[in-house]
Amino acid sequence: MSHENIEILFVEDSLDDAMLTLRAFKKSGFVNTVHHVKDGAEALDFIYAREQYVTRNINNHPKLILLDLKMPKMSGMEVLERIKSDPEFKSIPIVILTSSKEDPDIQQCYALGANSYIVKPVESENFFQVIKDIGMYWMVLSQLPE
Amino acid sequence: MSEKESSNELLIANRELAFQNIEKENRAAELNIANKELAFQNQEKKNRAAELLIANKELAFQNDEKEDRAAELIIANKELAFQNNEKEHRAAELLIANKELAFQNDEKEKRAAELIIANKELAFQNDEKEHRAAELIIANKELAFQNDEKEKRAAELIIANKELAFQNDEKEKRAAELIIANKELAFQNDEKEKRAAELIIANKELAFQNEEKEKRAIELLTANTELKKAEDDIRKFNEELEQKVIERTAQLEAVNKELEAFSYSVSHDLRAPIRGINGYAQILEEDYSDKLDSDGVAVLHSIRKNSKKMGQLIDDLLAFSKLGRKQVTLADINMNMLVNTLKEDFLVEDKEQKIEFNIEVLPPAKGDQSLIKQVWINLISNAIKYSKNKSNSPIAIGAYQEGAQVVYYVKDNGAGFDMQYYDKLFGVFQRLHSQEEFEGTGIGLAIVQKIVNRHNGTVWAESKLNKETTFYFSLPNINS
Repeated sequence: MSHENIEILFVEDSLDDAMLTLRAFKKSGFVNTVHHVKDGAEALDFIYAREQYVTRNINNHPKLILLDLKMPKMSGMEVLERIKSDPEFKSIPIVILTSSKEDPDIQQCYALGANSYIVKPVESENFFQVIKDIGMYWMVLSQLPE
Repeated sequence: MSEKESSNELLIANRELAFQNIEKENRAAELNIANKELAFQNQEKKNRAAELLIANKELAFQNDEKEDRAAELIIANKELAFQNNEKEHRAAELLIANKELAFQNDEKEKRAAELIIANKELAFQNDEKEHRAAELIIANKELAFQNDEKEKRAAELIIANKELAFQNDEKEKRAAELIIANKELAFQNDEKEKRAAELIIANKELAFQNEEKEKRAIELLTANTELKKAEDDIRKFNEELEQKVIERTAQLEAVNKELEAFSYSVSHDLRAPIRGINGYAQILEEDYSDKLDSDGVAVLHSIRKNSKKMGQLIDDLLAFSKLGRKQVTLADINMNMLVNTLKEDFLVEDKEQKIEFNIEVLPPAKGDQSLIKQVWINLISNAIKYSKNKSNSPIAIGAYQEGAQVVYYVKDNGAGFDMQYYDKLFGVFQRLHSQEEFEGTGIGLAIVQKIVNRHNGTVWAESKLNKETTFYFSLPNINS
């Protein structure tokens, strides 16, 4: 698969959640290219075009990053902090998509520059609706930086 | 005449003529000089005449000036003459006035001499009177002193008199009393003799009792020592107990925190697999139901329903455990505004337009606005839920003051509950109605109780089955 022209970088360690998310996205009719990475370290490798993504053009930013918080190796919070403190990448919108409803998590994410914080619903129809709404809001309604 | 002679004569005449000529020439020169002198003198005279003319004009001008001055002097002279007259008049008047004053002066001098004499007379009389007054003052003081002395003496005599009269009375009374006392003493003497005999008997009795008491005292002393030891033991035991309570409390608090953290992480970590089960069941239902028979589809449907229910329970548990860790920030709450805003929200949600509210004026209270809002939401939505099968059953909301607390209540005329199950009412996931009757997870009232307790308030309820239910909760008022 080509790693160029990726519109959404989707960072999620749970393969079940990843599968449900990608399916909901597809079923909602969005045709945007989504690339799924399974932890924070891989997300940064992608952004900075390192390791397996070394051939990728670093200037080809994704338009949106969907970021889980609880992940092995490197947490979503660390990824958020790294990207939002880098002038080169900080304008990429980051949507936190997590199971945590904890107030400190919510506050810290926004303080670090998250653009949105969404809690994954347990119930699948609600979950489906949330993914559809994210796609609608960020990929259709919002004007994103090129 | 000869020629010679004539020549001589001619020569002589010539010579005479030449001489006369020279004379005349000298004379002419002299005349010339004299002429020049005259011309010069003439010129001088002309100059002098011009100077005289100027001097003449100057004199004429000075003459005019002198005439003007003379005229002015005449006027001044007249003025001075007038003033002189005036002064002469004034001098004449002053002369007269002077004579008058001299006369008056004489008169006054005479009068002054008379007054000096009179003055001396009066001064003499004055001195005499002062001497007399001084003598009178001394005499007066002497009399006043004698008067005081006499009055004091009189007063002393009156007191001494009264004292003597009183002593006299007292002595008479005392004499009478002594007679009575004497009789009394004689009587008492008899009585005492009788009593002495009784006392001897009583004394013997007491001596006996005393011995008994001494024995008893020894027994009590022993018992007391034992009691003291027991008391010490109890105190020691109490101290140990208190220490244990402190330790236990700390342990319980730690366990409580651990439990909260545990319940949070359990509910948090449980959400992911439930989401998976629910999601995969949905995929099966959507993409593969044509490969299942109707029983299979029904089973799938049940899996989804149950996982959905479990998700709801986990979310509620999560909310409940989060509540225990939330910081409570107290502020004055405008309860009228809060409850009436919620009422509007509920009325907007009510599509069948069945709900009716009767809301009294609600006093303010101290609390955490967001948490107290949750209490109202839970109680009002309960009231709505359990009234849904009854028509025309308004929800009444009110409050009353009780000491330093405000008690609020929410009353409905709905399904109610049996008071014998009251102790289960506020438990987590405890329900008094079946899911088919009224849906819900049973966390709402547990949340209400936890919030109210965290405000040092109380929550309680009264109900009559199928008639009415009232939930009360108390909060500190704004003055506490």
